[in-house]
Amino acid sequence: MPASVKQSRVELTIHADTWDARRASVWLESAALAQSVPAEQIVRLDHCLDEALANVIKHGGDTARAAAVVLQFCVRRGQGVFTAELMVVDEGAAFDPSVLPEGPMPKPASLAEASLGGLGLLMIRNFSDELSYRRSKGRNHLTICVSWTAAT
Amino acid sequence: MAIRYEDANEGVRHIFLSGRLDTAGSEQIASEFASLAGSEKRGVVVHLSDVTFLSSMGIRALIAGAKAQQAQGGRMVLHVAGNDVVSRTLEATGIDDLIPMFEDDDDAERALLN
Repeated sequence: MPASVKQSRVELTIHADTWDARRASVWLESAALAQSVPAEQIVRLDHCLDEALANVIKHGGDTARAAAVVLQFCVRRGQGVFTAELMVVDEGAAFDPSVLPEGPMPKPASLAEASLGGLGLLMIRNFSDELSYRRSKGRNHLTICVSWTAAT
Repeated sequence: MAIRYEDANEGVRHIFLSGRLDTAGSEQIASEFASLAGSEKRGVVVHLSDVTFLSSMGIRALIAGAKAQQAQGGRMVLHVAGNDVVSRTLEATGIDDLIPMFEDDDDAERALLN
C-alpha cells in the first residue's frame, strides 16, 4: 500500500478579477464536497482562495490581469490524516509568501495604528496548515494545504 | 451582499450587513458603509450575524469605518451574535482587540452609551 493516496485532481481556469474569484469559490466548494472535505475545512480553504486571488488581482500587475489564473484541487490521505491541496497558478509579479518571517505576524496595538494592508497574508497563514511557493516559467505556483484527521 | 441601517435613539446607528463579504462583496458595499459608519459623530453598531464570509477586504472596510468614526469623536462596535465563522476571522486577525465585539445586541449598544 502506498503511504499516501491522492484522489483525482480537478482544475478550473479563471480571469484575475473579483467576480471570477467568486465563481472560483463556488467551484472550490463543489470540488471539496465531492471529495468529502468537512465543511469547517472548506471554510478555511475558501478564505485562503479569496485572499490568494485578491493578492493576484491587486498586486500581480497587468500581466496577471491579462492572463488566466489556473486553480487545481485535490485531497491526499495518508496514515489517518487528510490533506486538501489547493494550487493557484498566475502570471503576475513574483511573490513568495514563504519568505516572510516565521511565527505570528504582529498585531496592531490600537485602532489608530492599525494598517489596512497585510491582512490578506495574515489570513492565509491563519487559515492554512502549510504554504509553499515556487516560480516556474514566469508563473507563481502557490500551494495552500489544510489538514484534518478522520475524526474531525 | 446587502447593507441597510436604522438610526435609534441617543445617536446610535445600527448598520446591518448580510451575505458574503468576500473581495467582490466588500467592494460592493465599501463606499456606502464608509459613508454610513464614519460621516458624522455617533455610536455605531455593525451587525455581522448574517455575514456568511469575511475577507481581509471586508475587515479593511470595518477598520476604515471604525477609524473614521473615532476621528469624528464617536465609537463603533461589532455585534456577531453567535456567528462563529466571522468571530473566528476577527479573532485570528486581532481585530476584536481593536473594535469591541459583542455576542449580544443590548451589550453592544450599552457599550456605546457608557
